[in-house]
Amino acid sequence: MFLFSKDEDSPRLKQLRALSLFSTLSPRELKTVDGLLHERNYLKDEVIFDQGEEGQALYIIESGKVLICRQGQAVAGRVAELGEGRLFGELALLDNSPRAAQARALENCSLAVLFRADFLGLLETHAVIASKIALQLARHIGQRLRETVNAPGSQSE
Amino acid sequence: MNRQSGPVVWVGIIASTCLLLFLFKKMLWLVVPFLLALIIYYFLQPATHRLVLHGFHRKTAAAITGGGFILLLLVCAALLFPWISSHAVSWQDSMGRYIEGGSRLLQKTMDGLEAQFAFLERASLSRNVSEQLASFTETFAQRHLANFVVTLAAWLPALLLAPFLAFFFLRDGRRFTKFIANAVPNAFFERTLYLMHEMDKTARAYFQGLISLTILDTIALAIGLWVIGLSAPLLLGMVCAVLAWVPYVGSILGCLLVVLVAATDFPLDPWMAYGAIIVFVLVRLLDDFVFMPLTIGRSLRMHPLLTVLMIFVGGAVAGVAGLMLVLPLLGVAMVVGETIGMIVTDPRLQARWAHARRLRAEQAAADLQA
Repeated sequence: MFLFSKDEDSPRLKQLRALSLFSTLSPRELKTVDGLLHERNYLKDEVIFDQGEEGQALYIIESGKVLICRQGQAVAGRVAELGEGRLFGELALLDNSPRAAQARALENCSLAVLFRADFLGLLETHAVIASKIALQLARHIGQRLRETVNAPGSQSE
Repeated sequence: MNRQSGPVVWVGIIASTCLLLFLFKKMLWLVVPFLLALIIYYFLQPATHRLVLHGFHRKTAAAITGGGFILLLLVCAALLFPWISSHAVSWQDSMGRYIEGGSRLLQKTMDGLEAQFAFLERASLSRNVSEQLASFTETFAQRHLANFVVTLAAWLPALLLAPFLAFFFLRDGRRFTKFIANAVPNAFFERTLYLMHEMDKTARAYFQGLISLTILDTIALAIGLWVIGLSAPLLLGMVCAVLAWVPYVGSILGCLLVVLVAATDFPLDPWMAYGAIIVFVLVRLLDDFVFMPLTIGRSLRMHPLLTVLMIFVGGAVAGVAGLMLVLPLLGVAMVVGETIGMIVTDPRLQARWAHARRLRAEQAAADLQA
């Protein structure tokens, strides 16, 4: 029906579906989410956010690499190196807590940004989409937790 | 986000509010339809969201709600126009009757005062007031009717603009937000998103608060007027509640209207008019101390003293329009001012911005350095 949005996959929707956070969304749901996402481009060495800063958004890497490290300790305080399709800053979507680490662009990168207020609005207006994203987010956090627990030198080992 | 703005930021907020009021006064033809469009936008927004939720494209949803609203207005106008034309003469008579009723009440009150206080009788207070009132009402139509008709004709196209503006707000509002966010440097991006979200939240809370306040005022006044036995209490209550959108002046006009109706419906019983005044004052007190803090006051999170002072400032700078616009403008200026204050006074954000600019300059000149 012409009144309804067309559901076929555009290259942009395919690109979004390739991201783990949105992999369970239908084309129509992806279109709704796409309307909320912001596109940002960062140059190599540019700071994306600082440790201790109040987080307002979640970032998804569309291209390039991002370094997560302790504030000002790019080598000694290295926490993780994230590539295409990975997400970071996800705790900002859940609460107002300060950023746990600094994020810097390791190379020129393109990021999709989901603002917390938009996600909370999605919970009210599009509960199905928001719950699918929240489930993926919970899986992602669970995976991070397992990685931390299973990491060499962890006390639980 | 922590908000601890200093006196400099607050001076900036108040000064920019006054400047905006002054500028808006000069372009009321655009500001008033814009304001009405915002009210319609926040009124239609939930319905548009619901349609999007049911699978409609955002543009289609905006077209259905916006178009439906415009159609509803056209149908109402088509139905009301013949009815207004056929009742215009009787309304003119009614208006004359109500003004006469008001004059009679005033005359009786003045006579009563003269009987009580001899110095008023010596000053012929009653006769003077009656003569002035008679000359005012006799020439009122000749002096003001033509102006009123011309003003209405001049404002009509601007007012018709409001539903169309509301439709575009509904359809392209989100694109506009993204467009603004795209223009902001990376260092300030998250703060700017937060700022725009807070502005939208403030405006939505204000306008939805205003609608709630109008409904509460209408109900309270209608019940009060119905208890004392006045005719058409619901209509009177609604007109007074809408007039109250203009602080102070609107309330005085509303009270005058209620008194005129009471004095005309019960010409032999002046206590009816006094009763109507008491009901009106009681509802205003209820409005100021209960309804307003529950609706608009809470939405803007302003100190009551600042609110009252700014209403006076608004009236002094831009008259009646200033009284109406000052609170929403101050609300928006507060959010913008406090956030800009935070960005400008944050040395880390400034340093990150400078660093990013340096990186971009280096990248742009990379092949030139060899």
